[in-house]
Amino acid sequence: MSDTSRPGIRDQVAIVGVGCCKFGENWDQSPSDMIVDAAYEAYADAGIDDPQQQIDAVFTGTLYSQKGPHECSDALKLWKPVTMVTNYCATGTDAFRCGVMSIACGMYDRVLVVGYDKPKDRGVSGPSVLLDGVRDLPKTPAGWFSLCAATYFEKYGAGREDLARIAVKNHHNGTLAPKSFLKREITVEDALNARMISWPFGLYDCAAQTDGAAAAVITRTDLARNHRDDYVLVKAVTVNAGPNPQKDPANDFLSWKPTVWAAEVVYAQAGISDPRREIGVAQVHDCFSLTELLSYEDLGFCEKGSAKEHIASGRFELTGELPVNTDGGLKTFGHPTGATGVRMIYENTLQLQGRAGERQVKDPKLALSHNIGGHPTACGIAILGLP
Amino acid sequence: MIGITSTGAYVPPARLPLALLSGRTPREGGPEKAVAWNDEDAVTMAVAAGRACLAGFDPATVDGIFFASTTWAFREKQAAALCARALDLGRDVQTADFGGSLRAGTSALRSALDAVTAGSLRCVLVLAGDCRTAAPGSPLEMNFGDAAAAFLVADGEPIAVIDGFHSVADELLDLWRGEGEPFVHSWEDRFVVQEGYLPNLAQAFGGLFERTGLAAADFARFAYSAPDARSHVAVARSLGVPPDRLQNPLFGRVGNAGAAFAPLLLVAALESAAPGDRLAVANYGDGAEALALVVTDSIEKQDDRRGVAWHLARRRPVASYDRYLKARSLNPTEWQAPPGPGLSATIHHRERDDDLSFRGQQCRGCQAIQFPAQRVCETCFRKDDFDSVRLADRTGQVVTYTFDYFFPTPDPPTIVTVSEIDGARVHIQLVNCSPEETRIGLPVEFVFRRIHQSGGRPNYYWKASPVPAA
Repeated sequence: MSDTSRPGIRDQVAIVGVGCCKFGENWDQSPSDMIVDAAYEAYADAGIDDPQQQIDAVFTGTLYSQKGPHECSDALKLWKPVTMVTNYCATGTDAFRCGVMSIACGMYDRVLVVGYDKPKDRGVSGPSVLLDGVRDLPKTPAGWFSLCAATYFEKYGAGREDLARIAVKNHHNGTLAPKSFLKREITVEDALNARMISWPFGLYDCAAQTDGAAAAVITRTDLARNHRDDYVLVKAVTVNAGPNPQKDPANDFLSWKPTVWAAEVVYAQAGISDPRREIGVAQVHDCFSLTELLSYEDLGFCEKGSAKEHIASGRFELTGELPVNTDGGLKTFGHPTGATGVRMIYENTLQLQGRAGERQVKDPKLALSHNIGGHPTACGIAILGLP
Repeated sequence: MIGITSTGAYVPPARLPLALLSGRTPREGGPEKAVAWNDEDAVTMAVAAGRACLAGFDPATVDGIFFASTTWAFREKQAAALCARALDLGRDVQTADFGGSLRAGTSALRSALDAVTAGSLRCVLVLAGDCRTAAPGSPLEMNFGDAAAAFLVADGEPIAVIDGFHSVADELLDLWRGEGEPFVHSWEDRFVVQEGYLPNLAQAFGGLFERTGLAAADFARFAYSAPDARSHVAVARSLGVPPDRLQNPLFGRVGNAGAAFAPLLLVAALESAAPGDRLAVANYGDGAEALALVVTDSIEKQDDRRGVAWHLARRRPVASYDRYLKARSLNPTEWQAPPGPGLSATIHHRERDDDLSFRGQQCRGCQAIQFPAQRVCETCFRKDDFDSVRLADRTGQVVTYTFDYFFPTPDPPTIVTVSEIDGARVHIQLVNCSPEETRIGLPVEFVFRRIHQSGGRPNYYWKASPVPAA
């Protein structure tokens, strides 16, 4: 299904600055406020003091905005080529991908990518319950993403405890990220006894929806040293569509196809043949605990069906062989849909540059970020590395 | 020969013990009423009865469909046309709604018979369903129940022939429900019985006996509606009919099922009738009407179908009065937002074969069956080369499931599955099942239900239900 024969844009684009505002219930901040916070932090990180001259184009990623790309260009007073990208939870990675492609093709030299969303302005704690048709109800993400549980648990003997360990890990990591929403340790018992949302997901198996924005300044690789010496390179990036698992006749509900297919593409483009050993750190889309578990396998970090053993052995802990969700992930950092993919770029860049403070992973060379969204029907993966 | 060629019925599985209505603890086997749940109404019940009735018959032969009820959501918009689509009848079918009276079901049956006798229609499906609500805590609440019945009237091999009919009209304020009102009102029940029910039933039966030259003793069984059990017995006594020839009116099992009441009892009577039996049926409301029927030899060919006995046996007792109130939206707990425009009528129109008829498609290239209709095949990517296939009458099995506690419902969780129907995968809710009973591989059939009330209107789709044990 995927074309893995081309090297894509490997090493042609560099990340020279990243920014991220505090994620949370930002009642006092408008989308523009958050965009300005994140973008100006990225500018400062990149040594950009005259963005109106130095930025050539803008790609924004948002799911909930009703104002189109103008919301971002007006906030930043950037009267430049601007495109708004939307692709459910893969929005952030997709906006980043569009920015990367625009530089790799030679159209622009320096591009700003901003992902943002303010789901808390809707007045509900979780996702809105949609009634826009009669089929496929309830349209609740927890209901969609939990459909692999009955089948996976039965086939591989896994259970809620395995999911709970992922929640515990991410809660712990979130306490070490200054801009995260939740800073609270939990236990496996807390997770197992929590209010049920959509079996097997209890409250702690579900990511917190929050407001937030994250930004990155990217340039042609040969211009990167004008901004930072410790720039990071984009090795590969893709967004892959997949069939709706709820009507796909060939779905086994043991993995999510968009992740499997996107992983094939990026590993080929990045020249990675052994992801479990070559990837040093990964940010994986833990919208729900089971999504992270399945992603370990679908990304090739371990064999299909073996995730529970690796979870128990601590492989994916901050101190393990392949730390996953080092800043607490969607679970505790928060999940403003359009921002999440870019927040992962922010965290992976800091990790590669050795700037991740208390949650620093030891000497990662390659960092992977993974977003999956829709039913799920689209997956974005980016791989960053050191020159 | 012209007559009733098939029957069907539906009694909702939710049974509310009457003890809960007076704050007492229910006892095993105590009196209960059948209640339509939050995704059921007169139309969904009538469609279920209609499907039972049409089992084994080609729907293409039906050229008329009459729907009788006092509780349909619209004053302008026809229920019979909706039922025709849910039952996947052809477009060239005469549709009519009969309403406004508890007599509507037998009136519809009479009109169907007249149409077929006159030759203006060949095969008429008559549906009677009712879902009446009484004010919480009222005596009528204890009395009412929900159900539906269906008959096929045609010139063929009837199981029963109607050979006598008499009706009397009466203008009386005994029970009524005004435009836009949710609850049925009643004058004092002694007035209803003494001035309304008993005299009208006497006149209806009297007229029937006179027209047919028959007497009460000539009838093997009497099936008739009544405001309550006591008045039901009073009619029998005045006719001199012994208790063993009375069709059980099902008070304490179903309850007074409104326009579906007498039709339901007729279906029940036919389920246990023998060739040559004479049945007397009567219905009360704005007067009364009585019918005389003769059961034919064809009754023995009647297979085990989903009639009254079948449904009565399948019970899911309601645990609390509060659950029932929530299911019927009788206890608002939150500010009700004014209805918006609701679902797009144009989208609904384009999707009606998918949503109302539950039709999918079969690819002429790879033979894969898929849902919903789409232009490019899911499996072989062939474009615009499909046959439409009805999924509603097939069975499938559960592929995977979840229990959604987040989705608003009176009875959380909502069980949601991906089910497979002959290769097609469908994301569909599961009813008549508890989380404990849900499993991968569970065989399921499909039922027509009201999904929600977006726009202040009922919106319909299908749900899965476990295939019942034989």
